[in-house]
Amino acid sequence: MTKEPNLKEIERRAYMSYHQDGLLDIFAGLYILGFGIGILMDILWEFGFGVIMPSVILVTVLPIWIAAKRKITLPRIGYVNFGIRGANKLIAIFVGLMVAGLGAFFVFTFAVFQGGPREWLDFIFQNGMIFVGVGSLAVCVLFGYSMGLKRLYAYGLIALTILVIGHFMGIFFAYILLALGIMVMVTGFALLIGFVKKYPLKGDKAIAE
Amino acid sequence: MAQLYVVQSADFTFLLHQTGMTPGNLSAHLSKLEDAGYVEVTKEFLDRKPHTALTLTKKGRAAFKEYRKKVKQFVEKLPE
Repeated sequence: MTKEPNLKEIERRAYMSYHQDGLLDIFAGLYILGFGIGILMDILWEFGFGVIMPSVILVTVLPIWIAAKRKITLPRIGYVNFGIRGANKLIAIFVGLMVAGLGAFFVFTFAVFQGGPREWLDFIFQNGMIFVGVGSLAVCVLFGYSMGLKRLYAYGLIALTILVIGHFMGIFFAYILLALGIMVMVTGFALLIGFVKKYPLKGDKAIAE
Repeated sequence: MAQLYVVQSADFTFLLHQTGMTPGNLSAHLSKLEDAGYVEVTKEFLDRKPHTALTLTKKGRAAFKEYRKKVKQFVEKLPE
Protein backbone atom coordinates (compact mmCIF):
# COMPACT_ATOMS: atom_id res chain seq x y z
CA MET A 1 0.00 0.00 0.00
CA THR A 2 1.20 3.50 -0.81
CA LYS A 3 1.92 5.61 2.24
CA GLU A 4 3.57 8.93 2.93
CA PRO A 5 7.29 8.42 3.77
CA ASN A 6 8.06 9.23 7.40
CA LEU A 7 11.01 11.55 6.88
CA LYS A 8 11.65 12.13 10.58
CA GLU A 9 11.97 8.37 11.11
CA ILE A 10 14.26 8.00 8.07
CA GLU A 11 16.42 10.88 9.31
CA ARG A 12 16.52 9.39 12.82
CA ARG A 13 17.53 5.96 11.49
CA ALA A 14 20.25 7.47 9.30
CA TYR A 15 21.62 9.47 12.23
CA MET A 16 21.45 6.54 14.64
CA SER A 17 23.26 4.15 12.31
CA TYR A 18 26.13 6.61 12.33
CA HIS A 19 26.40 6.49 16.15
CA GLN A 20 25.85 2.77 16.77
CA ASP A 21 29.57 2.03 16.45
CA GLY A 22 30.25 2.61 20.16
CA LEU A 23 33.09 5.06 19.48
CA LEU A 24 31.19 7.88 21.17
CA ASP A 25 30.80 5.72 24.28
CA ILE A 26 34.45 4.61 24.30
CA PHE A 27 35.74 8.16 24.14
CA ALA A 28 33.12 9.53 26.55
CA GLY A 29 34.11 6.75 28.98
CA LEU A 30 37.77 7.61 28.50
CA TYR A 31 36.97 11.25 29.23
CA ILE A 32 35.14 10.40 32.48
CA LEU A 33 37.94 7.99 33.43
CA GLY A 34 40.53 10.72 32.80
CA PHE A 35 38.59 13.10 35.00
CA GLY A 36 38.60 10.52 37.83
CA ILE A 37 42.32 9.77 37.39
CA GLY A 38 43.00 13.54 37.37
CA ILE A 39 41.29 13.94 40.75
CA LEU A 40 43.27 11.01 42.19
CA MET A 41 46.52 12.53 40.85
CA ASP A 42 45.52 15.81 42.51
CA ILE A 43 45.49 14.06 45.86
CA LEU A 44 48.81 12.32 45.24
CA TRP A 45 50.79 15.27 43.84
CA GLU A 46 48.63 18.26 44.82
CA PHE A 47 48.64 19.72 41.36
CA GLY A 48 45.62 20.80 39.28
CA PHE A 49 45.39 17.54 37.31
CA GLY A 50 41.65 17.34 38.00
CA VAL A 51 41.17 20.53 36.00
CA ILE A 52 43.88 19.92 33.38
CA MET A 53 43.16 16.24 32.60
CA PRO A 54 39.74 16.68 30.92
CA SER A 55 41.16 19.38 28.62
CA VAL A 56 44.23 17.27 27.79
CA ILE A 57 42.05 14.24 27.05
CA LEU A 58 39.67 16.30 24.90
CA VAL A 59 42.55 17.69 22.82
CA THR A 60 44.21 14.28 22.36
CA VAL A 61 41.08 12.15 22.01
CA LEU A 62 39.17 14.30 19.50
CA PRO A 63 41.59 13.72 16.57
CA ILE A 64 41.72 9.98 17.45
CA TRP A 65 37.90 9.86 17.48
CA ILE A 66 37.72 11.50 14.04
CA ALA A 67 40.39 9.12 12.69
CA ALA A 68 38.58 6.10 14.19
CA LYS A 69 35.32 7.22 12.56
CA ARG A 70 37.11 7.39 9.21
CA LYS A 71 38.88 4.04 9.61
CA ILE A 72 36.16 1.97 11.30
CA THR A 73 32.73 3.50 10.73
CA LEU A 74 32.81 5.07 7.27
CA PRO A 75 34.20 2.07 5.34
CA ARG A 76 31.47 -0.08 6.90
CA ILE A 77 28.30 1.97 6.74
CA GLY A 78 29.36 4.46 4.12
CA TYR A 79 29.81 8.19 4.05
CA VAL A 80 27.01 10.60 4.83
CA ASN A 81 26.88 14.36 5.22
CA PHE A 82 23.97 15.40 7.42
CA GLY A 83 24.35 19.02 6.41
CA ILE A 84 24.36 22.20 8.46
CA ARG A 85 21.00 21.60 10.16
CA GLY A 86 22.08 18.47 12.08
CA ALA A 87 25.48 19.88 13.01
CA ASN A 88 24.01 23.21 14.11
CA LYS A 89 21.69 21.54 16.60
CA LEU A 90 24.58 19.72 18.31
CA ILE A 91 26.87 22.77 18.23
CA ALA A 92 24.08 24.88 19.77
CA ILE A 93 23.65 22.36 22.63
CA PHE A 94 27.42 22.10 23.13
CA VAL A 95 27.93 25.88 23.18
CA GLY A 96 24.87 26.28 25.43
CA LEU A 97 26.30 23.78 27.90
CA MET A 98 29.74 25.43 27.81
CA VAL A 99 28.21 28.85 28.49
CA ALA A 100 25.99 27.44 31.26
CA GLY A 101 28.97 25.61 32.80
CA LEU A 102 31.25 28.64 32.66
CA GLY A 103 28.45 30.88 33.97
CA ALA A 104 27.83 28.54 36.92
CA PHE A 105 31.59 28.35 37.55
CA PHE A 106 31.97 32.16 37.64
CA VAL A 107 28.87 32.68 39.81
CA PHE A 108 30.10 29.98 42.16
CA THR A 109 33.67 31.35 42.33
CA PHE A 110 32.37 34.90 42.79
CA ALA A 111 30.07 33.77 45.61
CA VAL A 112 32.88 31.85 47.37
CA PHE A 113 35.25 34.85 47.42
CA GLN A 114 32.55 37.49 47.98
CA GLY A 115 31.58 36.49 51.49
CA GLY A 116 28.00 37.15 52.60
CA PRO A 117 25.45 34.41 53.24
CA ARG A 118 27.01 31.00 52.71
CA GLU A 119 24.08 28.72 53.53
CA TRP A 120 23.31 27.89 49.90
CA LEU A 121 27.00 27.40 49.12
CA ASP A 122 27.35 25.02 52.04
CA PHE A 123 24.27 23.20 50.84
CA ILE A 124 25.83 22.76 47.36
CA PHE A 125 29.17 21.63 48.84
CA GLN A 126 27.48 19.13 51.13
CA ASN A 127 25.32 17.68 48.34
CA GLY A 128 27.79 18.16 45.48
CA MET A 129 27.52 14.62 44.16
CA ILE A 130 23.72 14.84 43.91
CA PHE A 131 24.04 18.09 41.95
CA VAL A 132 26.62 16.50 39.64
CA GLY A 133 24.27 13.53 39.22
CA VAL A 134 21.31 15.73 38.28
CA GLY A 135 23.55 17.74 35.94
CA SER A 136 24.81 14.51 34.30
CA LEU A 137 21.24 13.30 33.81
CA ALA A 138 20.27 16.64 32.23
CA VAL A 139 23.28 16.59 29.85
CA CYS A 140 22.64 12.95 28.89
CA VAL A 141 18.92 13.60 28.27
CA LEU A 142 19.73 16.68 26.18
CA PHE A 143 22.26 14.90 23.97
CA GLY A 144 20.24 11.66 23.94
CA TYR A 145 17.16 13.49 22.70
CA SER A 146 18.95 15.58 20.08
CA MET A 147 21.01 12.65 18.76
CA GLY A 148 18.22 10.07 19.04
CA LEU A 149 20.41 7.82 21.20
CA LYS A 150 18.26 6.27 23.91
CA ARG A 151 21.21 4.64 25.67
CA LEU A 152 22.33 8.12 26.77
CA TYR A 153 19.18 8.30 28.94
CA ALA A 154 20.30 5.06 30.61
CA TYR A 155 23.80 6.48 31.20
CA GLY A 156 22.26 9.58 32.79
CA LEU A 157 20.03 7.54 35.07
CA ILE A 158 22.88 5.20 36.07
CA ALA A 159 25.17 8.19 36.78
CA LEU A 160 22.50 9.83 38.94
CA THR A 161 21.80 6.59 40.82
CA ILE A 162 25.48 5.82 41.49
CA LEU A 163 26.22 9.40 42.54
CA VAL A 164 23.23 9.53 44.92
CA ILE A 165 24.20 6.14 46.41
CA GLY A 166 27.83 7.32 46.59
CA HIS A 167 26.73 10.50 48.38
CA PHE A 168 24.83 8.62 51.08
CA MET A 169 27.45 5.87 51.45
CA GLY A 170 30.34 8.34 51.49
CA ILE A 171 32.14 6.88 48.46
CA PHE A 172 34.91 9.10 47.12
CA PHE A 173 33.85 11.04 43.98
CA ALA A 174 36.90 9.96 41.93
CA TYR A 175 36.11 6.24 42.47
CA ILE A 176 32.57 6.82 41.20
CA LEU A 177 33.96 8.56 38.11
CA LEU A 178 36.35 5.64 37.52
CA ALA A 179 33.47 3.15 37.80
CA LEU A 180 31.24 5.20 35.48
CA GLY A 181 34.04 5.72 32.96
CA ILE A 182 34.86 1.99 32.85
CA MET A 183 31.15 1.10 32.52
CA VAL A 184 30.61 3.50 29.60
CA MET A 185 33.84 2.34 27.92
CA VAL A 186 32.96 -1.36 28.26
CA THR A 187 29.51 -0.64 26.77
CA GLY A 188 31.24 1.20 23.92
CA PHE A 189 33.57 -1.73 23.21
CA ALA A 190 30.61 -4.16 23.27
CA LEU A 191 28.78 -1.91 20.78
CA LEU A 192 31.91 -1.66 18.62
CA ILE A 193 32.28 -5.46 18.49
CA GLY A 194 28.59 -5.78 17.57
CA PHE A 195 28.95 -3.04 14.93
CA VAL A 196 32.03 -4.65 13.33
CA LYS A 197 30.22 -8.02 13.22
CA LYS A 198 27.03 -6.48 11.81
CA TYR A 199 28.85 -4.48 9.15
CA PRO A 200 31.89 -6.49 8.04
CA LEU A 201 34.32 -4.82 5.68
CA LYS A 202 33.58 -5.67 2.08
CA GLY A 203 36.12 -5.60 -0.73
CA ASP A 204 35.93 -2.88 -3.32
CA LYS A 205 34.58 -5.40 -5.83
CA ALA A 206 31.76 -6.52 -3.55
CA ILE A 207 29.95 -3.25 -3.88
CA ALA A 208 29.51 -2.21 -7.45
CA GLU A 209 29.59 1.57 -7.50
CA MET B 1 14.91 9.54 -2.77
CA ALA B 2 13.59 9.85 0.77
CA GLN B 3 17.00 8.74 2.09
CA LEU B 4 18.77 11.47 0.14
CA TYR B 5 16.08 14.03 0.99
CA VAL B 6 16.93 13.98 4.72
CA VAL B 7 20.71 14.35 4.27
CA GLN B 8 22.93 16.70 2.31
CA SER B 9 24.81 13.91 0.55
CA ALA B 10 25.55 10.22 1.00
CA ASP B 11 27.49 7.53 -0.80
CA PHE B 12 26.43 4.24 -2.35
CA THR B 13 27.40 2.10 0.68
CA PHE B 14 25.38 4.25 3.06
CA LEU B 15 22.27 4.08 0.86
CA LEU B 16 22.75 0.34 0.49
CA HIS B 17 22.60 -0.17 4.27
CA GLN B 18 19.77 2.29 4.80
CA THR B 19 17.50 0.96 2.07
CA GLY B 20 18.33 -2.75 2.42
CA MET B 21 18.39 -3.05 -1.40
CA THR B 22 20.81 -5.19 -3.37
CA PRO B 23 23.73 -3.33 -5.03
CA GLY B 24 22.39 -4.04 -8.52
CA ASN B 25 18.89 -2.88 -7.66
CA LEU B 26 20.09 0.32 -5.99
CA SER B 27 22.46 1.02 -8.85
CA ALA B 28 19.60 0.72 -11.35
CA HIS B 29 17.41 3.06 -9.27
CA LEU B 30 20.18 5.64 -8.99
CA SER B 31 20.94 5.51 -12.70
CA LYS B 32 17.29 6.26 -13.50
CA LEU B 33 17.20 9.09 -10.96
CA GLU B 34 20.43 10.51 -12.39
CA ASP B 35 19.07 10.34 -15.94
CA ALA B 36 15.95 12.20 -14.79
CA GLY B 37 18.16 14.89 -13.27
CA TYR B 38 16.96 14.14 -9.72
CA VAL B 39 20.29 12.90 -8.37
CA GLU B 40 23.72 14.39 -8.87
CA VAL B 41 26.76 12.10 -8.76
CA THR B 42 30.00 13.73 -7.63
CA LYS B 43 33.34 11.96 -7.90
CA GLU B 44 35.82 13.16 -5.30
CA PHE B 45 38.77 12.01 -3.19
CA LEU B 46 38.43 11.22 0.52
CA ASP B 47 41.65 10.30 2.31
CA ARG B 48 43.27 9.91 -1.12
CA LYS B 49 40.68 7.30 -2.10
CA PRO B 50 38.13 7.77 -4.88
CA HIS B 51 34.67 8.39 -3.49
CA THR B 52 31.27 8.85 -5.10
CA ALA B 53 28.87 11.23 -3.36
CA LEU B 54 25.19 11.31 -4.25
CA THR B 55 23.11 14.45 -3.78
CA LEU B 56 19.49 15.21 -4.49
CA THR B 57 19.29 18.08 -7.00
CA LYS B 58 16.88 21.04 -6.67
CA LYS B 59 14.74 19.40 -9.33
CA GLY B 60 14.83 16.13 -7.36
CA ARG B 61 13.83 17.87 -4.13
CA ALA B 62 10.95 19.64 -5.84
CA ALA B 63 9.81 16.36 -7.44
CA PHE B 64 9.94 14.54 -4.10
CA LYS B 65 7.97 17.34 -2.39
CA GLU B 66 5.36 17.10 -5.12
CA TYR B 67 5.24 13.31 -4.73
CA ARG B 68 4.70 13.64 -0.98
CA LYS B 69 1.94 16.18 -1.54
CA LYS B 70 0.17 13.88 -3.99
CA VAL B 71 0.46 10.83 -1.73
CA LYS B 72 -0.94 12.89 1.16
CA GLN B 73 -3.89 14.06 -0.94
CA PHE B 74 -4.50 10.51 -2.13
CA VAL B 75 -4.45 9.07 1.39
CA GLU B 76 -6.79 11.82 2.66
CA LYS B 77 -9.33 10.99 -0.05
CA LEU B 78 -9.44 7.32 0.93
CA PRO B 79 -12.60 6.24 2.77
CA GLU B 80 -12.27 5.45 6.50
